[in-house]
Amino acid sequence: MNLTGTELLLADGMSPEAAVDALGARVSLQEGAGAQRDLRFYDTFDGLLHAAGLAFVYGSGRAALVSIGGSVERAGMPAADLPGRVFAAQLEAGLLRDALTEIIEVRALLPLVHVHDAERTFGVLDRAAKTVVRLALHAPTVVASPNRQLALAPRIGLVAVRGYDKAFRRVYKMLVDDLGLIAADRSLLEEAVIATGATPGGVSSKVDVALARDQRSDSAAASILRRLAQVMEANLPGTIADVDAEFLHDYRVAVRRSRAVMRELKAVFPPEQLARFRVELRWLQQITGPSRDLDVYVLDFDELRAGLPEPARSDLEPLLRVLRDRRVIAHREMVRALRSDRACELREQWPAFLSELVTLPAGGRPDAARPIGELAGERITKVYRRMVKMGTAIDDSSPPEELHELRKQGKELRYLLELFGLPLHPADVVKPLVRSLKSLQDTLGRHQDREVQVDALRSLRDEVSTLRGGAGALMAMGVLIEHLGDDERAARAEFAKVFASFASNSQRTLVRETFSS
Amino acid sequence: MSRVLATYNIKGGVGKTSAAVNLAYLAARGGDKTLLWDLDPQGASTYLFRVRPKVRGGVRKLVRRKSDVENLIRGTDFERLDLLPADFSYRHMDLALDAAKHSTDRLARVLEPLREHYEYIFLDCPPSISLVSENVFEAADALLVPIIPATLSSRTFEQLEALVEGGPQVLAFFSMVEVRKSLHREVMARLRATHVTMLGAAIPSADEVERMGVDRNVVAEIAPAGRAAIAYEALWWDVRRRLTARGPRGAG
Repeated sequence: MNLTGTELLLADGMSPEAAVDALGARVSLQEGAGAQRDLRFYDTFDGLLHAAGLAFVYGSGRAALVSIGGSVERAGMPAADLPGRVFAAQLEAGLLRDALTEIIEVRALLPLVHVHDAERTFGVLDRAAKTVVRLALHAPTVVASPNRQLALAPRIGLVAVRGYDKAFRRVYKMLVDDLGLIAADRSLLEEAVIATGATPGGVSSKVDVALARDQRSDSAAASILRRLAQVMEANLPGTIADVDAEFLHDYRVAVRRSRAVMRELKAVFPPEQLARFRVELRWLQQITGPSRDLDVYVLDFDELRAGLPEPARSDLEPLLRVLRDRRVIAHREMVRALRSDRACELREQWPAFLSELVTLPAGGRPDAARPIGELAGERITKVYRRMVKMGTAIDDSSPPEELHELRKQGKELRYLLELFGLPLHPADVVKPLVRSLKSLQDTLGRHQDREVQVDALRSLRDEVSTLRGGAGALMAMGVLIEHLGDDERAARAEFAKVFASFASNSQRTLVRETFSS
Repeated sequence: MSRVLATYNIKGGVGKTSAAVNLAYLAARGGDKTLLWDLDPQGASTYLFRVRPKVRGGVRKLVRRKSDVENLIRGTDFERLDLLPADFSYRHMDLALDAAKHSTDRLARVLEPLREHYEYIFLDCPPSISLVSENVFEAADALLVPIIPATLSSRTFEQLEALVEGGPQVLAFFSMVEVRKSLHREVMARLRATHVTMLGAAIPSADEVERMGVDRNVVAEIAPAGRAAIAYEALWWDVRRRLTARGPRGAG
C-alpha cells in the first residue's frame, strides 16, 4: 500500500454509490464539489515519467506532475492550454518546471491518452470535522477519438492528507477488509493506455537482450543487432519529425553500437556481406553527424554562454542565430538522406540479413559457432589491454590524437561491456568496471569536445561577423575560445589520475579473472 | 522561486492571522503549493484549520533542526495548502533562538529544505519586536503589514520601515476598516498619499471575518461573495503583482 495515495477497484456487482454508502455508515463523510474533468496525460517517447512512477497531466486549467496510481500531486501550476509537444523549458519558471527538468531533461512530453472522468469527491472527517483522508469516485472514459469512447471500470481513489497516515490506513483497511474493495494492480493511466492498444511505459532504447555463455556467437550477435535495428527503427520517425534531440541521439548510438559489434565480432559474419553493411552503417553515421553536432551546440548554448561575464552574454545572440539556421539546413539534408532509396533498402535488407545469419554457410566465418562467452571475453580482454598499453604510453608531450584514439577504443570497450559483458557476467563485477571506464571517457570526452568546440567557433567567425551585432559576438566568442582552451588543458591534466585508476593492478586482475576463460 | 511572506505587526489584534489564513488559502486555490507556519504560541491559525497545536520535540528541537520538519507538517482541508502548526512551547521561542548559534537566521534555516516544495510560505507571526521578529525579517521576502487606519498607525508603519531597511519588502494594507468612520477615511487618504508601499486593497471590518473563529473556516468559504472575501482576493492580486515586480530576495 502506498501511504500517500492509492486506487481501488470495486468487487463484482458493487456499485460505487453502494461503496460510499457503506463507508458513510462507518466514518463521517462530507461530499465535495465533484467535477467533470478532461485529463490529458503526457509522457516522453521513452516513458521517463512512467519509469519514475509519475505522470504529467493537464486538465481543468492545471498542469501537474502526479504519482501514477495515487494521483498525488508532486508539483503543478495553472496553465491556460498546452501544445501537442511540451518541453520543460517552455513552462513558466517554478517548482513544476524544476521537477520536470530533473526527470526529462531535453526530452519532449507527447500526448499519451485523453481520459474523461466524472468525479465525485469526499472528505473523511475526524472528530473536529477536519478532513483527514480524501476520496474520489472515478467513472473514467478513454476518448480514443471524438467518435470512439471506451468506458473503463469505475475506481475509487484514496489520497492521504499529510500528517494523517493513521486515518489513511484505517480507511484503506475498512474499504479492503470490510467492503471487499481490491487494490488496483494497474493505475487508471495504465488502464487507459492499454485500452488504446498502446503499452504503458513508452518505447525504450535500452538493449536488454538475454544471452547464454554457450550460445553460438553468430546467434548472439544477431539478437543484439536485431534489437539495435529495432531501436533505430523506433527512433527514425521522431528523428525525421524533429520531435526532440534524443531521437537522433538514440538512433546514432544504436548505429554506432551496431558498427562496434560488426568490428569486434568480425569473424561471425560472411566477409562480403560484412564489408557491405559496414559501409552502409558508416554512411548512416555520416549523414546524421552534422545534424547531431548542431543539436549539441544549440542544446549546450546556455551552458556555453554561462561561461561569459553577465553583460557579455547577450552579445552571443548572433552566434545562436547562425547555429539555428545551420541546424535547420543540416536537418533537412539528413531527412533527405534518411528517406533516400539507399536508406530504405538498408532498412529492409539489414534485418533480413540478421534473421538468416545463423543459417548461412559456415565458410569464411570461423567464429560463428564459438560460444559467445568465450569470444566476447576474449574481445573485452583484448580491447582493455590495448587501452592500458595506449594510455600508459601517453605523457605530457603526447599529441592530442593519441588521446582521441584512446577514447575511440574506450567507446568500443564500453559497448562490449554493456552489450555482452552485462548479460553474461555478474553485474557487480561489470558495473564497477563500466563506471571507472566512464570516468576515463568523461575526461577524454571533455578534452576532445572542447577542442572540437574551439574549432567550430573559429569556423563560424566569418559568418557571425557579417551579422548585426557581429563585432560584439566575435569578442564574446574570443573569450569563450580562451575558456574552452583552459578547460581542455584542465581535462588533459586530469587524465593521468583517472587513467591510473582505470589501469590499476586490481582492475587488470579483475578483467583477467572475469573475462579470460 | 519560492516566496516567504510574513504577516507582521508590532501590535496585536490587527488582523494578522486573518490575513495569513485567507491569503494562504487563495494562493493554494490559485494553484500554488502553499505552506502556512503558525509561529504564534496562541495557535489561532492552527485552530482555524482544525489541526492539533502540537509540534513533536517542541521549539528547541525545531530551531536547532533536530526535528524532521517535513514530518511536522499537516495537510489542511484544502488541496495544496499545508500547515506547520503552532505549539505552546513557541512562547519560549525567543529563548530557544537565543540559545542557538546564528540566532537570527534559525527560522530561515528551518525553512530552507521546504522552499523547494512550496511556491508560497506564509509566516503568521506573533506581535512583538524580538528575536523571533528578527528571524522573520531574515527569512521573509516580504512583510505583509495590516494597519488599522487610526492615529498611531502611520507611526507604527514608519518605525517598521526603518527597522527592516535593506531587508524584506514591506507591503502594508489597511485592515479592520470601517468606512463609516471619518477618522478611518482621513488616515487612509493621508497614508496612501505619502507611502507608495501602501497597497490599494483594504480589508473591511466584517461579520464573516469575525465568524472565522466560530466556523473554523476561511472567509471565501463562509461568505464567498462577501465584502471581506472580495477584499482578500484584491489584496492577494495586489501582493502578487508587487512581488512579481521585485523578484525574490537574493535573486540579483
